[in-house]
Order: sequence, then C-alpha cells, then structure tokens
Amino acid sequence: QQPLPSQPPGRRQPQQPRVPPSVSEEPGGHGRQRGSQSVPQGRNGRRPEGLQISAGFQELSLADRGGRRRDFHDLGINTRQAIEHVQESKTGSSGIMVKLTTNYFRLTSRPQWALYQYHVGYSPEMEARRLRSALLFQHEELIGKTHAFDGSILFLPKKLGKKVTEVFSRTRNGENVKITITLTNELPPTSPTCLQFYNIIFRRLLKMLNLQQIGRNYYNPSDPISIPNHRLMVWPGFTSSILQYEESIMLCTDVSHKVLRSETVLDFMYSLYYQVEEQRFRDACAKELIGLIVLTKYNNRTYRVDDIDWDANPQCTFRKADGSEISYVDYYKRQYNQEITDLNQPVLISQSRRRRGTIMPGPVVLIPELCFLTGLTEKMRNDFNMMKDLAVHTRLPPEQRQREIGKLIDYIQKDDNVQKELRDWGLSFDSNLLSFTGRVVQGEKILQSGNVFNYNPQFADWSKETRGAPLICAKPLDNWLLIYTRRNYDTANTLLQNLFKVTPSMGIRMNKATMIEVDDRTEAYLRVLQQSVTPDTNIAVCVLSSSRKDKYDAIKKYLCTDCPIPSQCVIARTLSKPQTAMAIATKIALQMNCKMGGELWSVEIPLKQVMVVGIDCYHDTLSGKQSIAGFVASLNQTMTRWFSRCAVQGRGQELVDGLKACLQTALRDWFKWNNYLPSRIIVYRDGVGDGQLNTLVNYEVPQFLDCLKSVGKDYNPRLTVIVVKKRVNTRFFAQCGGALKNPPPGTVVDVEVTRPEWYDFFIVSQAVRNGCVAPTHYNVIYDTGKLKPDHVQRLTYKLCHMYYNWSGVVRVPAPCQYAHKLAFLVGQSIHREPNLLLSDRLYYL
Amino acid sequence: MDKNFQEEQFTGVIKFTPPLYKQRYQFVKYLVGKYKPKKVADLGCADCTLLWMLKFCSCIEVLAGLDICTSIMKEKMYRLSPLPVDYLQPAERSLTVTLHHGSVAHKDPCMLGFDLVTCIELIEHLEESELKKFPEVVFGFMAPSIVVISTPNSEFNPLFPGVTLFRHPDHKFEWNRVQFQSWALETARRYDYSVEFTGVGHPPTGMENVGFCTQIGVFVRKHPQTSESAQSEKPTEGVYKTVFKAVYPSLKDEKYLQNAVVSEVIFTAQIIKRSLLDCVVSEHEEYNDDPTERKSKFQPSMNCFSDNLGKLVVEKRMEPFVNGHVVYIPLTTIFSFPKVNQLCGTFEKLRKLIAGKVTLSSDGSAVMFNTEHENEEN
Repeated sequence: QQPLPSQPPGRRQPQQPRVPPSVSEEPGGHGRQRGSQSVPQGRNGRRPEGLQISAGFQELSLADRGGRRRDFHDLGINTRQAIEHVQESKTGSSGIMVKLTTNYFRLTSRPQWALYQYHVGYSPEMEARRLRSALLFQHEELIGKTHAFDGSILFLPKKLGKKVTEVFSRTRNGENVKITITLTNELPPTSPTCLQFYNIIFRRLLKMLNLQQIGRNYYNPSDPISIPNHRLMVWPGFTSSILQYEESIMLCTDVSHKVLRSETVLDFMYSLYYQVEEQRFRDACAKELIGLIVLTKYNNRTYRVDDIDWDANPQCTFRKADGSEISYVDYYKRQYNQEITDLNQPVLISQSRRRRGTIMPGPVVLIPELCFLTGLTEKMRNDFNMMKDLAVHTRLPPEQRQREIGKLIDYIQKDDNVQKELRDWGLSFDSNLLSFTGRVVQGEKILQSGNVFNYNPQFADWSKETRGAPLICAKPLDNWLLIYTRRNYDTANTLLQNLFKVTPSMGIRMNKATMIEVDDRTEAYLRVLQQSVTPDTNIAVCVLSSSRKDKYDAIKKYLCTDCPIPSQCVIARTLSKPQTAMAIATKIALQMNCKMGGELWSVEIPLKQVMVVGIDCYHDTLSGKQSIAGFVASLNQTMTRWFSRCAVQGRGQELVDGLKACLQTALRDWFKWNNYLPSRIIVYRDGVGDGQLNTLVNYEVPQFLDCLKSVGKDYNPRLTVIVVKKRVNTRFFAQCGGALKNPPPGTVVDVEVTRPEWYDFFIVSQAVRNGCVAPTHYNVIYDTGKLKPDHVQRLTYKLCHMYYNWSGVVRVPAPCQYAHKLAFLVGQSIHREPNLLLSDRLYYL
Repeated sequence: MDKNFQEEQFTGVIKFTPPLYKQRYQFVKYLVGKYKPKKVADLGCADCTLLWMLKFCSCIEVLAGLDICTSIMKEKMYRLSPLPVDYLQPAERSLTVTLHHGSVAHKDPCMLGFDLVTCIELIEHLEESELKKFPEVVFGFMAPSIVVISTPNSEFNPLFPGVTLFRHPDHKFEWNRVQFQSWALETARRYDYSVEFTGVGHPPTGMENVGFCTQIGVFVRKHPQTSESAQSEKPTEGVYKTVFKAVYPSLKDEKYLQNAVVSEVIFTAQIIKRSLLDCVVSEHEEYNDDPTERKSKFQPSMNCFSDNLGKLVVEKRMEPFVNGHVVYIPLTTIFSFPKVNQLCGTFEKLRKLIAGKVTLSSDGSAVMFNTEHENEEN
C-alpha cells in the first residue's frame, strides 16, 4: 500500500503547471552543434527530459540506488529460495496433458551475448546531462552508433578495447574535459538490469512502429474503432513486457484496447450540468471525474484527476521557471497556440506521483477544455448497452486474439528500421508463439446432503444438476419481513408464492413473510425496519423499485451495523419477467439461506485442521481516503462456513495492522467452533498491485507470523501465503485439432511461463462464453506447510468451487471472492466495520 | 557541490532571459505569425525543437527538417508525431512533418516550393567548401519567399570570459557584423532578395556598440517566383534520405471527415432519440411514484431541442417521431445542428458522407433507430 501524497492541492495561487516541460530549457543545439548549447546559457533550472531511452534509464539507475520507482514486474524478489521443498521442482503431476499455445515469444540473442555497462566520469565535473552526452559522443568512432546513455551509465553491445578508457573533449568555452569510461559490469542476458534494458529497447521499437504510448501500453491510432452512440473511440494496441521466465527470456504481449472519448472534460462538464440540479453539480463532477485519466491536447502525457479546484480558472497566473508570472490562457496560447475559450471553467488538479527528471512531484494544474477523457466512468460501466456495444469490439475469441497478437511480431519483422535496431543490439524474436504442454486436473464432484453431482466440466456450472436438491444446511424462514412499495405489491406477492414453490425441495422451512408496504423513500424503509425488526427476525427482504444506490446503501448500513440481521435487496424489475421468475426465486432462496448461515454444497477436501483465509481490498478511488480489506476465514473442515471481518484503513495507515486483528479474531472463532486451533493456515491474498510484492514479503508476512506467535507459546502452525492475481496479461489457447479454443476449466500451468525465482502457477478455473478466458496467477510467497505443489494446486482449484453465489467454478478461490464481496459492500455502502454479530454468516453476498 | 560550482562559474556572466536559444526560436515564431507561411523548412534542425514549436502554428501545413546528423534528429523526433488527441479531434488544417538526412550543400527536389526556410545557427558550422555552395542551394535552388539566417556575432565574444576563439568547438568561423552583412548583401543581390538585419540578445548597458549576441538576416525574395524560371536545371533525383514522416489526421482527408461526421450524426441523433423516448416514457408512467425527479430533469433539455428544431419544423414540416419501436430523426433536423452543419457545409455533402454508415429510412430522409432490444438488463 503506497501512502498517498499528503500535500494538499494548490489553491488560489496555483503552482507551476508541470504540464509542459517538453520544451527543454537547454537550447537544442542547432545546426551541427550536436546538442550542446550556445554560449550564454541560463543555469539549467530544470533539466531536459533527455533521450527517450534515458527516461527509462532513470528508473533503472534510481532502482540501482534503492530509489522509490515502482517496479511493475516485481523483479528481484526471490521468494522461492526460502521455500525448501520446491527447490528441486515446483510442478504438479495430476491431470491429463493438454497442448497449449500462449501469448509469449522467445527473445533470442547471438551466442555469448552480453551487455557492457560503463560508468562515465567527467573531469572537471559536468552537471548538465545534455552536455555530458554531447561531450561523450564527440567520440562516436570509439563508442559506436549503438549505445544507450543516461548521463552517467553507458550501455554498449560491444566491449571497448580497454577496461578504462580516457578521452578528451572540448566544451564550446574551450575548456578541456577528461572523460573516463570505466567498465563496471559485463551483464549476462538474464541480469535484472539487462531485462529492464530489453524493455527500454522494446519501447523504442514500438515507437518506431508509430504506435502511441498511453500509460504503460502502446496503441495504434491509425485504425480506430469508433462507437459514436456513446462518443467512444477504441484504439487497438498491445501490452508488452520482457522478462526472464522459467526457461528463457520472453516477450509477453497481449491485445489491449484503449477506450478514448471524443469529448473534452469541459464538454463532459457541460453535459453533466444539464443533467443534474445546480446544487448537486459540483458533487456530480467530482464523483464522475475524480480518478479518471485524462489526455492533454498539447503533449503526450496522461494525468489522473485528483481534485477539481472551483476557486481557480484559466485566468489565474502561475510562476514560470524563469520567475515571470503568466496566466494559463496566455501560457497555452503562446506555447501551444491553444485557445482557451471558456474563461470561467474550474481547473483540474493532478498530484504527480513520479519524479520527472529533477522536477519534484507536486500538483499539476490542468485546464478542462484542453483535456480529453479516457477510460470508462463507473456510470458507463453500469450502462448495460454501452458495455454490450464495447464488448463486441474488445472481447476477442481465441483465434482472433491470437491473430491480433501475431500482428505485433509481424510488424516487428517487416519494419526495416526495427530490424536494424534489433540487429545492432544483437537481438531477435521468435516468430512463433510459445507452445508447451499443460495439465487439466480432474473435475470436482459436488456433494450436497448425501447426493453426489457430476456435471459437464466444460461448462464449469452445476446449477441445472443441483436444482431442487436438498441443501447441506437449510435455515428456516420462520420469521421474516418482505418490504415493498405499493406499486410493487404484485411483484412482492409473486416472489412470495414462488419462494413457497422452490424452498420445500431444498429443505427450507418457510412461513409466510410479514408483508409491509412502504413509501418509496429511504426514510420510510428505515422507519419500517426500525419498527419491525425483532431479535427473532431471520432476514429482511426489500423489493426496491429502482437501482438507486442511496436507498440500498441506507438499508445495508442500518442492517449491517446498528441492527445486525441479514438482509436481501432485490430490484422489482429483476422479478418482473415471468419466464425467469422461478430461476430468480431459486437464486434468491439460495442467497438468503447463505446469508442466514446455511450451507449449500461442498467438495471433497482431504486436508485436515486447516484454516483457509481469503483477503481482498477495496480502494475508494472517489474520495481517495480509505481502503478496506475484506478478511474471510474458514470455520469448519468442509469449508462451508466462513468467518469474516474487515479492516478499514484510513489515509497513511498500514493495512496490515488491521489484518493482524482480523487473524486473531478468526483464530479465536475457529477455536470456539472446533475446540482446537488449526495446525495449518493457508492465506490467499488478493488485491496486491503490480510492484507491491516486496511490501507483502517483507512486511505483511512477518506480521502474520508475529500474530501467530502471540497466540500461544507452543502454537506453531504451518503457514502458506499465496498471492492471487486476476489481472495478468498471460493467455492460454488450447490446440484442438486445427483450431484454437479456450483451455478447459481445471487447466494448470506451472512450466515455461512461470518465473524461476517464484513458486508460482496458473489455473484456468472458470469457463467463459465469449472472448478469451483469463487464467489466474498464484504465487506462493511463503510456505512452511510443506504441501506438495500438486496438492496446493488441487486445493486451490477445489476452493474455486466453493463460492455460494454462483453454482459453478469462479476465477479465484471462494474466500477471495467472499473477501472481495465484503470489502466492496463495506467500501461502497457501509463505510465502517460491520457488526461482529454477523461475522459467521455470508451476509455480504 | 556541483551546483555551487556551476553557479560560481556563471556569476557575473551575461545571462539572457528567456535563454538566447528561446529568443531565436521566438523570433522565428514571430516571423511565422507575420508572414503566415504554409510550408516551412528548418535547415540544421538538430533535435527538432524548433520544428516541434512550429507544429503548433496553425498556418503551417508542411514542415520539413534537414540535418547532416541523423542520430541527433532521431533522439527526439517522435515529438513530431501526432498526439492521441490529434486523432480524437482531427484538425481542420492538414499537416505533414518530414525529416531528411542530408547536407545543405546538396540539392534535392524535396526542398522545393517552401515559403520559409530557416537556418538558425547553421552557417558557422559549414566548411568553407560547403559555405560556398550554400547560397546557390538555398537561394538559387530552393528559392523560398523568405529565408532567415542567424549566426553568432563575434564582436560580442569578449563579453564571455571563457571564449578564446569560438563559442563552440565545431564552429568553423564566427563573423562580426560587417562580415556577415557583406556576405548577406552580396548573396541577396546575386539571387534577387532584399535583406534586413536584426538580432537577439541585447548587450549589457554601456556595451551597446558590440551589437546583438546573435545576428539575424531576414531575406525576402523580391519577385514572385515564376514556376518555370527556376525549374530549368533542377535535378530530378533526390539525394536526401527520409528519416521520419508524420501525416497528421485532418478533416481535409475524406476518411477523417467521414468519421467525424458519422460520429457527430449518430451522437446528435442519440440525444434527440433519448429525449423523445424520455418524453414518451414519462407520459406513460404518470402513476409512477418515483421518477418525478427524472422527468423534471429531462424536460428542459427537450425544450431546448424543440427550440432548435422550431424553425425547421415550420420550413420542412418534419420533426423526429416514434413509430412503435422505431425512432425517426429527419436528416434536416440533424443538419441543423451547428457541429454537423459546420463539418458538412452542404446538405448534399452530409448525405454523401453518411451513406452506408448510418441506417436511414427507406426514402433516405431520416436516421432510423430500432429501440426494441435496448434496455435489456441482465
């Protein structure tokens, strides 16, 4: 968890907009000056951005110095070396073989390839990076045309004659400068520095292909997909990263789609203005805009909107680097010929998180009229029609996806400049996607009250097979409330009748509900709940007339905190279709049963005395204030009952402190249920961002261990911590005859595309109807459990069958999905920790 | 430590604000503002900073850069690529940016037809032989309407303590004002240009007699070029190598215009459709206890559309209507919207551009939407 910047956004006197420093303050040496300055130069207050390659380099050199740049690939964190039993092998064994293709290309280099790293020193010392490069490259005949230099570190594909080379250059002041080029490192292809270097080179290649960089990925703007109904434009593009994988260094590339909007932030504000009442306008803007990424009209940068300053406008002034004051209007007119027409618009504030060159991070001021929106807002994501229109273009079936991925290698192989660059560095890429063999593990049988259900493993769904079968544990509906508005009386009544029809076969005993009619106002619902909920109430069911969130939030908040009983909200429209009414009633009955502490089904779990924990986080992007960690732990052997708690973490607080408390209570409850403590604890940790692995390994895991130690002197359970990642760029395609299909559920991959320094594997657990299935990545970062890799993989897959809100296999182990649900409910609606009286039930489903 | 060192080195030394290189570029921008050239070439474009600044000048449609060194051009040339936003909102003007590798001592037909050619701090880097050929190539061959040449003024050099011979080791010469001006006048005379002298970088008070730090000559061709006259002995073969080329999306390009029009038509039609349907819905759901807020929210926008349509309704007797599940929005209505109107110019053009891209009614007079399958939720 990265602490949020504490600096408040600039008010009134907005600070220097760091938007436009693409004009280097150093004169771009003209004519044949080779990048050095004309004589009378101002002291370079800001250093220029330098070579593109150097921008990437800075990361590298900073990281070398233990800097704070985030490494998205979690390089250099070797967790496998500490796990004794997987030193030899980390692969599983069960299942049948399946031929797979994946979106990876091997990087090949000529034999004995190495990268030579030199340190370049100047005497007398030269400060400006530009000057340093200019002086160095006066000796191109020595260094060669292929090089990468960031001001002090020089990379060459060849070795210079001597270990230390001294050359002399002359500045325009006639000053003689001694340059010492010292070989500091001969980097093997697999060294972390080399890997970062490949990535930098690869980005250079993508630029050569005229792809546009937006954020971390590259997109092809020349052939956009336009969705005019929603003013959206979709650019096809690629994600790419080059890393050391199990056997070789490979490029992992996937198709990515960037959603852009052909309207400015100002346009958006105007259209919003017509949609909401005046007094809600500012709030609505904040709600829709904060957290979005914008593109500016004048440079190729993206910014995250962190705040809107309504007190400022484009006529406000700021101080330029040379000390002069200028208004935004004048600045953009003069610098970029950009006309700002609306002088009363507010300004957007973006807290830059990254150091750019020598510029310290600080608020950046942006003008709405000059910013374009990218991505989707929450509102758009909830727009079913829009998402449907988008999916047509973005969800590619396996064959098509593979073709699109292949295009990138095609581009690379057909472009002469790109080929030349690669040749100069002595690198090349395989032209074929990597193929290898994976395993499909055996499907799980669903156990429900003495019945054993088989189902088609291809669909990973057993809703049909188990329909109407008795549940493991059915909770009676003796005393329950059904609350509805007058308009929905019929709907509520139909629901009641349907529940009477579907519950008997499940074994749920049901009395008629206490039917209560309310006005369609939040207060009315709350008043009824206050009056009617008694200690004996099993559950309160509310039929809502619209999907308006405030009503839902208020009901959930009240029934999860002040008056802790399970509740079920359902929108009237969902119930209104006669053809689906029974299926919906069945689903609601099951969900209500879980919320009251019932159990639906189980799978065979051979491990004993094990407590499985799931953790996921919800980040409040809106207010940027708090994060919520949902924590779920199994209470019984069959993993059908779960304890839950959540940690609400304020700004600047560490999440793990809350998690410790959660684990303590979970162990206490486990003891109450079982009369002994678990001898094994397996934690599935979801919600870990790219580059945060380090924090987890060095901070969170030790805290867990600490917490376990505090339980008792001789309590020494085995602990396994597994990081779960849903967002990965890896895709697998199964070769079926001549065609490529999604791999079947239960596909496990623990070779080739895993990382040698980790104990990790992929599982495809779910089935998808359209598009490509995304495998889930599991990384065992700590393990004193000594379970065989095969058993860990099997257990993980089994747990994906245990999520009660879906009669099928899900993407992550059930505890993670439960933790996600809990964190989402608390983060979205409740905003504080729910009452612990509910903690042994799945009330958050 | 390093910082102090630098500061010390520069205290008491003349410092220009804004920096001198910026003042030179600013001067070029000023010329561009004054003469509004469509085609501009920068000779000795180095890291393309000047070209990058010029790409924002809306009068320029063709920008070219030439340099003898490719690596310095390549360093930052991607700054000259179109930005994502240029694709999102294609500009009215067209713009092509090209970078060439080559020498100012050689002729290449790709440099013909320019309005303005800039040579900022270039000539002092030329070897004697190259300098000799330079006037013939630039003034004789390229023969643009305007040439601007800047070069150091050596009379200023004594004010720089460190400078013994030249300001930069690669300089082959540095001229005083008389030397530059006599060269410039002679060149102008020979190729029939007029020349005016100015400069940037004012000397400190009391030292005015040394003149500007950078001296500048602005050459203007006296007679409009008759296209044939200069063409006679032009080599047809190119000797420059193209290093980079970027064609900016522009509405002048049919493809982008069509995209823009289709997007705008569908978006406009959607707004009208939505407001129409909202009207219908609110009529049907009077008994509804909830959506009161919704209705009041959308009615004003409906009014605003009726205003917009008012005049057309009278003229054409056509307005958007709903028939069962199908919504019809007359093209005339859509054409009356300012953005669509501005993009297409004529109604015929609108028809032509959206043909085959937007679903129209059978007689082609209205945009048609089928609303049957909308609003289906999971």
